[in-house]
Amino acid sequence: MKRELIFILCALLSFVVKAQNPVPAPAQSKSILLIGGTAHIGNGTVIENSAIGFKDGKINFVGAASKADKSTYQEVTDISGKQVYPGMISPNTTLGLLEIEAVRATLDMRDVGNFNPNLRSLIAYNTDNKIGPTARTNGVLLAQVTPRGGVITGTSSVMMLDGWNWDDAVLKADDGVHMNWPQAYSRIRAGEDRGNFEKNKNYQKQKDEILEFFANAKAYCDAATKEEKNLRYEAMRGIFNGSQRLFIRANNVKQITEAVNFSKQMGIMRMVLVGGNDSWMVAELLKANNIPVIVTRLHELPERAEDDIDQAFKLPYLLQKAGVLFCLNDEGDMEAIHTRNLPFYGGTAVAYGLTKEQAIASLTSSTARILGIDNIVGTLEAGKDATLFISTGDALDMRTNNVTLAFIRGKNISLDNEQKALYEKYKTKYGIK
Amino acid sequence: MKRLLLFSLLFLPNPIIHYTLTIIHAQETFPVNGVFDKNHNYYAFKNAKIIVDPKNTIEKGTLLIKDGIIIQAAAEVKIPQGAVVMDMNGKSIYPSLIDLNSSYGMPEVKRAAGGGRQGGPQMESGNRGAYNWNQAIKPESDAVKMFSIDSKAAEEMRKLGFGAVLTSQKDGIARGSAVLVSLAETQENGVVLKDQAAATYSFDKGSSTQDYPSSLMGAIALLRQTYLDAAWYKSDPGKKEYNISLEAFNRLQSLPQIFETGDKFSSLRADKIGDEFKVKYIIKGSGTEYQRKEEIFSTFCSYILPLNFPAPYDVEDPYDAQLVSLEDMKHWEMAPANAGIMEKKGLVFALTASDLKEKSAFWKNLRKAIEYGLSEREALNALTTIPASMMGMENKLGSLKAGMIASFIVTSGNLFDEKTSIFENWVQGVPYRLNDPNAPDLRGTYTLTTRGVINNTLKIGGEVEKLKANLEDSAKSSVSISVSAGTISLSYTLKGEAGPTRLSGTITMKDSTPRFSGRGQSTEGVWFDWSAERTAGFIRPGKKDSVKKAAPEFGEVIYPFCAYGYRTDTNKLLYRFMHRWDAILIKNTTIWTNEAEGILQNKDVLITEGKIVRIGDNLSVPKTVKAIEIDGKGKHLTAGIIDEHSHIAIAGNANEGTQASSAEVRIGDVVNPEDINIYRQLAGGVTASQLLHGSANPIGGQSALIKLRWGLAPEEMKIYRAPGFIKFALGENVKQSNWGDNNTLRFPQTRMGVEQVYYDHFTRAKEYDAKMKAWALLKPKDIEKLKLSAPRRDLELEALAEILNNKRFITCHSYVQSEVSMLMHVGDSMGFKVNTFTHILEGYKVADQMKAHGVGASTFSDWWAYKMEVKEAIPYNSALLVKMGLVTAVNSDDAEMGRRLNQEAAKAVKYGGLSEEEAWKLVTLNPAKLLHLDDRMGSVKVGKEADVVLWSDNPLSIYAKAEKTIIDGVIYYDMEADKRMRDEMQTERARLIRKMLSEKSGGTPTQKPVGKQPKVKHCMDEDDL
Repeated sequence: MKRELIFILCALLSFVVKAQNPVPAPAQSKSILLIGGTAHIGNGTVIENSAIGFKDGKINFVGAASKADKSTYQEVTDISGKQVYPGMISPNTTLGLLEIEAVRATLDMRDVGNFNPNLRSLIAYNTDNKIGPTARTNGVLLAQVTPRGGVITGTSSVMMLDGWNWDDAVLKADDGVHMNWPQAYSRIRAGEDRGNFEKNKNYQKQKDEILEFFANAKAYCDAATKEEKNLRYEAMRGIFNGSQRLFIRANNVKQITEAVNFSKQMGIMRMVLVGGNDSWMVAELLKANNIPVIVTRLHELPERAEDDIDQAFKLPYLLQKAGVLFCLNDEGDMEAIHTRNLPFYGGTAVAYGLTKEQAIASLTSSTARILGIDNIVGTLEAGKDATLFISTGDALDMRTNNVTLAFIRGKNISLDNEQKALYEKYKTKYGIK
Repeated sequence: MKRLLLFSLLFLPNPIIHYTLTIIHAQETFPVNGVFDKNHNYYAFKNAKIIVDPKNTIEKGTLLIKDGIIIQAAAEVKIPQGAVVMDMNGKSIYPSLIDLNSSYGMPEVKRAAGGGRQGGPQMESGNRGAYNWNQAIKPESDAVKMFSIDSKAAEEMRKLGFGAVLTSQKDGIARGSAVLVSLAETQENGVVLKDQAAATYSFDKGSSTQDYPSSLMGAIALLRQTYLDAAWYKSDPGKKEYNISLEAFNRLQSLPQIFETGDKFSSLRADKIGDEFKVKYIIKGSGTEYQRKEEIFSTFCSYILPLNFPAPYDVEDPYDAQLVSLEDMKHWEMAPANAGIMEKKGLVFALTASDLKEKSAFWKNLRKAIEYGLSEREALNALTTIPASMMGMENKLGSLKAGMIASFIVTSGNLFDEKTSIFENWVQGVPYRLNDPNAPDLRGTYTLTTRGVINNTLKIGGEVEKLKANLEDSAKSSVSISVSAGTISLSYTLKGEAGPTRLSGTITMKDSTPRFSGRGQSTEGVWFDWSAERTAGFIRPGKKDSVKKAAPEFGEVIYPFCAYGYRTDTNKLLYRFMHRWDAILIKNTTIWTNEAEGILQNKDVLITEGKIVRIGDNLSVPKTVKAIEIDGKGKHLTAGIIDEHSHIAIAGNANEGTQASSAEVRIGDVVNPEDINIYRQLAGGVTASQLLHGSANPIGGQSALIKLRWGLAPEEMKIYRAPGFIKFALGENVKQSNWGDNNTLRFPQTRMGVEQVYYDHFTRAKEYDAKMKAWALLKPKDIEKLKLSAPRRDLELEALAEILNNKRFITCHSYVQSEVSMLMHVGDSMGFKVNTFTHILEGYKVADQMKAHGVGASTFSDWWAYKMEVKEAIPYNSALLVKMGLVTAVNSDDAEMGRRLNQEAAKAVKYGGLSEEEAWKLVTLNPAKLLHLDDRMGSVKVGKEADVVLWSDNPLSIYAKAEKTIIDGVIYYDMEADKRMRDEMQTERARLIRKMLSEKSGGTPTQKPVGKQPKVKHCMDEDDL
């Protein structure tokens, strides 16, 4: 509490310098024990009156407050009445690759060409982007930064939302390759039905191009010797040997089914479905093939007027019921700025069927599993990164989400952002307390 | 001429003064090449069944014509000597059909390749000359001058039985005059029946390359202004300008006015304009009239209805089938019933073949319409007497009475019977033979004799006009057969022969039994004699004759006609507001009053007659009143959400951004009650919305304030006596900053320019206002004495003058502080107040100035960084503005967010720490204040309109769901009913899919599934242009 006061005082006094992003936090120097809070472990369990200890950036104790040995921690913080969560992860986002959507010079998520597995989001990720800090303020501490455009859009990396540059902010470099499956239906360009949708006439052709690219990439990667090095094929190696995931964006049943079959045919070891509007209709197929889903943004309109009006809202519940592993994401219109609303998609999923702990998992542990970083982050468990946050109330509800402390790898990060600084500046102008 | 009349008088058995038609004489001015050749013979058609008109039939009578005119049609006619007499025994004569929506003989409309926008804006008309300022207003377009006979098209129409069409070039908004022509092919001068027969209009700007109008509401505004301009032009004796278009527009006003619309709601829109200018249009409809039959009938317009019916969709693939919307499926089923439903409703209509892709489908579709409920008599009326009287030609066309034009068709029987053939189509006394009425029926079984040996059996079947034949040999060899002018030729290839055997012969009839004989040639080239004797007549295989088909079954109309539409039988009461007089009693609930009482626990609310009548404990309803009692325990009752900034429920483009000011356009002209987002937002607790024009120009268009009365008609959506609003916009959108390099021409391109647009327009508006006020003070006798003429009414300046007179309020799209200050300064110096800054994301920077100006704010909760001008937008904005004492709302501008506005309000608790009650007002009472509706809505207070929502939880919580949304005391959304509707919709779709599949397997051609995804509109949408 005292800490918070100090924070607020600092903010008040230093609004002039806060037009810059906050200074990245230094590495954890003292061991910390958070005691008395309600811990949402991320895997479905809750510990009331908990204690969470971490040292050198790693969690070394999670359990009942009564079981913790306070004496072994240099700093003990009482968080009674508050909620602790693993840091939320925003998968499949362009956060950090853009600043102002309408200003082309600030955009770095899309390049020329249809097959660009060799494009790496890692090196374009700007730790000083102004949007990231606003996401941290609400509990989103990690992001899988992902290129866009074309068929194979590029290779993503998982970033921690605090750091001096991309090389110290990276959690997992080059975690996966992303691909857009061809549209099953496309817009009619001319005539009476202009603007309406019909079956994509180029579907087969577009699919054939993908097959050809993958066949060549696979042959190249399998070959004992190379005459000439091909950067695009080299970038595919990981998805064939299983060290990287292949994220395929597909939304309707036909696309999803074909993408799954394609992955099997190509020997892709770890496929992740992205989008999956209709994934609930083919849940059996996904489950049988062990394919997880990064679920389409929940705050979207249903695709068809005839759909259930809450179709998008209840998709997580339908997948949960069917036993398909899934996590929530924010891809869509103005996605970077909406990163801070990611926790609330979890709230919506609760309103439409999930339990709160299931919803928390879909923002933390499930996301980590799907991205292949669950050995490092995603739950409050000993041995994992101390990437977590504390909210005075339920973090899934905007009415109560109020993050007062956050740690990334044990670093006590600033919760300030440029917007808070502006707020303070103008409160001063008007003399508002 | 005098001679002709005399001649008629002398020779007619019953002297009738018939019409001396110009048609006969028109050609008299032409020199003759060769010998003078005119035919003044009488033609008598005797023993015919004469259908004089749909009401009068002469069972056996004679039709006598001469010089293209009917002399007499009666049971007993004295046939003059020297008449050409034709025995019509067994045949029927009908008046030939009339189509009023044709482009017959018109040159093709040339459209500019690529369209205008690619090459940058086109602000002015591309027409050079003393024409109207707008290229889409072309009343001077004169069909008669463009008309030339088109033999192919004429033949196609005559084959269907048509004898006359109203034709014009279908291009533009005021399209010019149409000409009524016959389908004869004599000479243009002869076939023009009536020049300037009608004036034609539409909402489609057609080939115009000029930017304005780019929206439906713009087209409506343009037409409205054109009516005013034309009236001013007419009344102005000084004639400040000469305008070919307005001259023509005025000249055409005395004619029948035909308005072509694309859908049922546009028919209502056309009628509304008609009412404003005292015009009763004849509306060329769309075939969807049955979907809003009450409103369509209530226009009291007459209609021209098309007969194009959609083919069933190919729904074999269940996923592809999902593309097809419920309304498209239902329309497929119900389209053929349109004419029948509208006939029962009492609508007066003509029918047209114009919208058919294949004209040959006309009869098939007309018969289908009859099968689906249209009476034969009304069908005939709609093709003869009604179009004739619409053209004021009821004394010349459409029936077979003395003196009328001799255009008629000769049929084998009842015109509407499937088996009936049209033998001849006489147009202005000129015969066009379609099928030979005397063609012998050659069908039957024959013994075929070649080279003197009976060696085969020949079977001839098919239709009289289209025979089919085969040999009854082991291979059932097919025989190609052709008959002409009494000769027959046959050709067939026998098994084992290298090529065909060919026969040619003559037909002889003996006691109506045909016999063929002649010579043939074998495949080797050897000639021989052959003959064929009929041994048996034709028996139609397996076809049940005259079995009356069961009346087709089809689903019911839903309101609105789309997904989640209410069924009338279950919601008839709701549909007509009847529930208003019932009571709703909500018991033991938590009430967010938005009043001094704050949040009340465990109270009852009583609603009746559309109002909140009591709030208290243990309320009850007298037994005499029908009441719904709702248990509100554990639930929260609030005022309905009001969205200050919405773009749902708008037909067409929400921007008329083609000019810096479009103050004349009105969203109220284009309310679309069939937007599914209305229903979705009801489910989010929204009860009222301001539908705003987009933000493409500094002065946008006028708003519509609606309640989300799902299922009702466009006019019924509007809030009664709502104050007028108009959209203004500042910043990047109006500067076209993000529109690409082609859009750098339209003024303004900077914030400096934006200011000047306002100064300029308000300066002109002030002058205009003064001029109009001065005029209003003049006495009529002074006006007359001084020969003054009224100043031109300008709807754009009128809207701005309303702002100056405090009769219209500004909602201004705004972002950065400089421009916000600027507009307030303009307002202060020009004498108007800005009512609301919307978006106003930098409002927090100038809250003090805004407070001093007295303006309110309607903002986003947490949007930013999508454009340069929102770089410094902060989510604390709304809380700061509230703390500064401004009336502040949170709005959507987004159809998706519109259904979660309660959550957006909650963000003001999180960002800036408003109390929950204050936060809740951001989406209820405060927008009501901004819209000057807070005396009627926005809080739960006795006497206010009963627009309330019952929530499952604290309404600010993300876990809260609207369980019931009530508007005017009527439940428009009910979570339980919603579940039922989903099931019903699924059942209905399944039924329609089964039906389509069975049509497909029965051989009906299908169309590929096409999906309509409604485009979601934002005010910053630029691609709409």
